[in-house]
Amino acid sequence: MLNKIYDWVDERLDITPIWRDIADHEVPEHVNPAHHFSAFVYCFGGLTFFITVIQILSGMFLTMYYVPDIENAWKSVYYLQNEVAFGEIVRGMHHWGASLVIVMMFLHTLRVFFTGSYKKPRELNWLVGVGIFGVMLGLGFTGYLLPWDMKALFATKVGIEIAASVPFVGELIKTLLAGDATILGAQTLTRFFAIHVFFLPAVLFVLLALHFIMIRRQGISGPL
Amino acid sequence: MSNNRVSRRQFLGYTLTGVGGFMAAGMLMPMVRFAVDPILQKKGDGDFVQTAQKISELSNEPTRVDFSYEQVDGWYTSEVTNSAWVYKDGDNVIALSPVCKHLGCTVNWGGDTAHPDQFFCPCHLGRYEKNGKNVAGTPPLGPLDQYEISEKDGFLLIGKPTENTLI
Amino acid sequence: MHRGKGMKFVGDSRVKATGRMPNKPKDYSEYPGRTEAFWPDFLLKEWMVGAVFLIGYLLLTVAHPSPLEGQADPTNTAYIPLPDWYFLQMYQLLKYTYASGPYNIIGAIIIPGLAFGALALAPFLDTTKERSPFKRPLPTAFMLLALASMIYLTWESVVNHDWEAAEAQGQIQEEVNVEIDETAEGYLLLTGEQGKSCIACHGADLAGGAAAPPLVGNELTADEVAEIMVNGRGAMPAGQWAGTDEELQVVAEFIASLKEE
Repeated sequence: MLNKIYDWVDERLDITPIWRDIADHEVPEHVNPAHHFSAFVYCFGGLTFFITVIQILSGMFLTMYYVPDIENAWKSVYYLQNEVAFGEIVRGMHHWGASLVIVMMFLHTLRVFFTGSYKKPRELNWLVGVGIFGVMLGLGFTGYLLPWDMKALFATKVGIEIAASVPFVGELIKTLLAGDATILGAQTLTRFFAIHVFFLPAVLFVLLALHFIMIRRQGISGPL
Repeated sequence: MSNNRVSRRQFLGYTLTGVGGFMAAGMLMPMVRFAVDPILQKKGDGDFVQTAQKISELSNEPTRVDFSYEQVDGWYTSEVTNSAWVYKDGDNVIALSPVCKHLGCTVNWGGDTAHPDQFFCPCHLGRYEKNGKNVAGTPPLGPLDQYEISEKDGFLLIGKPTENTLI
Repeated sequence: MHRGKGMKFVGDSRVKATGRMPNKPKDYSEYPGRTEAFWPDFLLKEWMVGAVFLIGYLLLTVAHPSPLEGQADPTNTAYIPLPDWYFLQMYQLLKYTYASGPYNIIGAIIIPGLAFGALALAPFLDTTKERSPFKRPLPTAFMLLALASMIYLTWESVVNHDWEAAEAQGQIQEEVNVEIDETAEGYLLLTGEQGKSCIACHGADLAGGAAAPPLVGNELTADEVAEIMVNGRGAMPAGQWAGTDEELQVVAEFIASLKEE
């Protein structure tokens, strides 16, 4: 049945080359933990992606209840965590995932660094990876404010002050981030929400696509 | 011996589907339950709401009674004002919902001068008889809802709307 | 591309009607060593790791509900902020003399900028062909140094942070319903001349303020209250009570009685 559907689509769209291109690539022995246990260090990139998928999904579901507004943000988070079934787990997945993704990404970066995998011809992919690192930190920073609780507000105050200490354009960046030159409030929250939910994820998708395309293009780096 | 021996490739395919399904379920199950919570949440029995209408002052002519109560909508609590058309039918007190069964406009008693003894919906000219029965040939498809009612110290209490039981 | 005379297409499309690619995996037997196919052999192993990881991850979320502190209150000036753990190193860096004050720009911009910039430019700074970390000592040494300082800074910031105070300051304040007997001797003493500095922070309604927690709904015994009144606690300085010791005892008992039924 499934094969028939596949053939029907394939006859019209010739999807086999696309599909085989995704499925067919070799996994050499030196990255396979089944052959050399120490190759588990090659898992961190995949786990980073796995958590990223969980983050995207849980984030999508959280916005069903969350309101980016200083009057209601905290109340809605409190509500979804305490009143909605599994709210504690879905928010927990997003909260802990945010930390875990940083850990995994950090370990992945160290693996790539210490195996020297960033060297020619993989310089561009390393740059894209560092870009993903920055975007993830940005997602962590903007997401921290969204529950609008005490630690969110004051940690963001500190973060914005750090941005303000950039020479020459610091005050501009601060106003741009906070939405107001002096107040950290309603306009900050909506801005951070927009950045966290639309702008940074969009950048992240592009960078991830580039990252994966380049890996497929170049293959995994050889044994040391 | 069966001829349908499972090949290595098929076996890998099945396990891959199984493990993938497990991961998808583990990830999505909490999230889907989280999302569908509103349909599964139990609504508490509607409490009766006190009105300022004395039952002894009701007549057999429908009068509009406003009542307000605290509505809890997720994290947002607000004061909501609703109204009911209340009249006496013998000793029984009848409270009808003013929400038209056609498209949810608000009906008025005697709103149409041609039919002073009927409820009238101005949106699409729907009409109901005094007991809430929809007049055939007008847009509404069913009778007006009826409120559960109760009494306390001579004042009218209004509960949650139910199907019309008069017809 | 196999294009040419005699080619057959599906309708008027560009999709070939004959000689399509068979949906068969490639043969990797010619590849070196024990190379195996990504799909489905290796992916299955990856997914099994993923499934185990997911179970651990879900257990973590169940065991440790994500924290939510009280609603943000910008007027609270006593709150000591703390960033998410991966920013702690930077938070700590900004406490040092040569990374703060007039040198703030060094700690806030230059050092993180250098670190991040060096990381991004690693392929262009380390251009030798060697890949083993042991054969390129400089990059390895720099990375280990950076790692060590990050771990050290994070550690320093963790041990120097008052976690108990941090937990207390963010707690969600329940609305407490405590009847205050305004004719009680303790209340009169507390709101009188002797208790002026108590009221200044804790408020005449004893509901607390920006600088102090509420007195109503406390969880202390009379002795503990008396102790705090004498010696202070947290941000509260010692010796705030201006009355006699007997009066102090009465007030302590009064405050300890302000509990929810």
